[in-house]
Amino acid sequence: MVGVRACAIQGVRLEDDVEQWFAREILPLEPMLDRYLRRSWRDQWEVLDLRQDAYVRVYEAALREKPVNPRNFLFQVARNLMIDRSRRKNVVSFDSFADFDGMEAEDDQPDVEQSTAAQQEIRLLRAAIGELPPRCREVVTLRKIEGLSQRDVARRMGITEDTVERQVANGIRLLRKYLNPNQASPAPDTHLPAGSLKVSWK
Amino acid sequence: MNRREKIEEEAADWLARVDRGLSREEEVLFARWKAADIEHRIIFLQLQAAWQRADRLAAMRQPSPSASRLPRRLPLKAAAIAAVLVMCVGLGLGLAYRARDIPPQRFETAIGARRSLNLADGTHVELNTNTVIHASITREARTVTLDRGQAYFEVVHDDRHPFVVIAGNHRITDLGTKFSVRRDGDRVDVVVTEGEVRVEHIAGEHVGAPVVAERNMVVIARRNETLVAQRHPKEIDDAMLWRSGMLSFNQEPLAAVAEDINRYNTRKIEVVGPARDIRIGGSFRSDNIEGFTQLLRDGFGLKIVETDDKIVISN
Repeated sequence: MVGVRACAIQGVRLEDDVEQWFAREILPLEPMLDRYLRRSWRDQWEVLDLRQDAYVRVYEAALREKPVNPRNFLFQVARNLMIDRSRRKNVVSFDSFADFDGMEAEDDQPDVEQSTAAQQEIRLLRAAIGELPPRCREVVTLRKIEGLSQRDVARRMGITEDTVERQVANGIRLLRKYLNPNQASPAPDTHLPAGSLKVSWK
Repeated sequence: MNRREKIEEEAADWLARVDRGLSREEEVLFARWKAADIEHRIIFLQLQAAWQRADRLAAMRQPSPSASRLPRRLPLKAAAIAAVLVMCVGLGLGLAYRARDIPPQRFETAIGARRSLNLADGTHVELNTNTVIHASITREARTVTLDRGQAYFEVVHDDRHPFVVIAGNHRITDLGTKFSVRRDGDRVDVVVTEGEVRVEHIAGEHVGAPVVAERNMVVIARRNETLVAQRHPKEIDDAMLWRSGMLSFNQEPLAAVAEDINRYNTRKIEVVGPARDIRIGGSFRSDNIEGFTQLLRDGFGLKIVETDDKIVISN
């Protein structure tokens, strides 16, 4: 019995550990991964799908053993996924995929100061909150800028805690959508002649 | 809705619950939900990353506790009791106001302050920053004079005793309504959130042709001109954000934004040079002048020079 319980606790710890690792090492690469996929994959509406599939594979691999170089591993997985898919579709030649080594040079811009990046981040976040519907914006502002608990937000605004919770859930999804615009993948453009390249992302 | 959208909706609901704190039972359900599908975990982590990113905005928080100047809302229970008391008092005075006249009352707020009150007839009034009103509730008429500033009214409508707001040369008559009036010298702006109001230009004995504005309309009255315009409900909401101590801007020039913020602070912002035309969007606490200037410095790279009585902003 003791053995089984220890095992279960071990399991939970491993999951927590992998979750933290995934949030720390993999998710910050998302903008870069999206760019890489959009550049390499012709059918833009499949990019979201490819990204999420790559995440699943990386997460599963990390449950067995965490890769030494998370970035290389993620891009390798993404590349393999594209190769698999194009084999099945029988459309694109493999060497048409952009080389992800080239991405690194582009993203680690040494001339961009840390403070500028922080400014841009603040600007982006303010803009994201500015886009929320008024009531949702007020809840998120009180929760995130004023640092009030959900309960205190409810008191301050004179609304129920359930309403605050719903607005928080709403705000979370809208913020995610704004901060990661790739979220809504464009629907296939049926007017596009077969075989042409869609470059709407540029 | 596709499968991933459905997961995202569930994940957002869970994250909102985690954000307020899970009960024992919920912890079990949450663990079960996460264990059911690896994509549940991944999408939850993606949403959590976005939600945690917003924590960086806490740097915008003003240094002194915000409770210092503005009254916080009462806890619900206390508010409920207060509401009952106000209703009793309101009813009592309501009878009184039919029985005998109450002498005119003066209410005011300092710069940066807000105040809400109920008049003898039960009408609810909220005063914004730097505002003075006189209320005269008699058997014949209910009249509020707005000397300066901005006030929001939720009128207890009574056909026989019309509720009238006098703002400079303009008379605003309630026709069953929630509305706000702002007066700045000759300029009078009315925003209607519910019902209807009638706005007339009155100069001495002369009364101009009235205009009627209904829900989601604004009336912009200047010396001799009166304009009525329909607004998007979101714009109306934004125009009423001051009631919760916020200001909202939709790509407005920095000079105009500064002018608005200056209404709420004794230390005035002055914008010089091309920076006056920078467009600003978003919402801010009206008393968070430090956070606002910090954002301009860090976010837009503007130069900020502070003295005791003013803050000069330039490129």
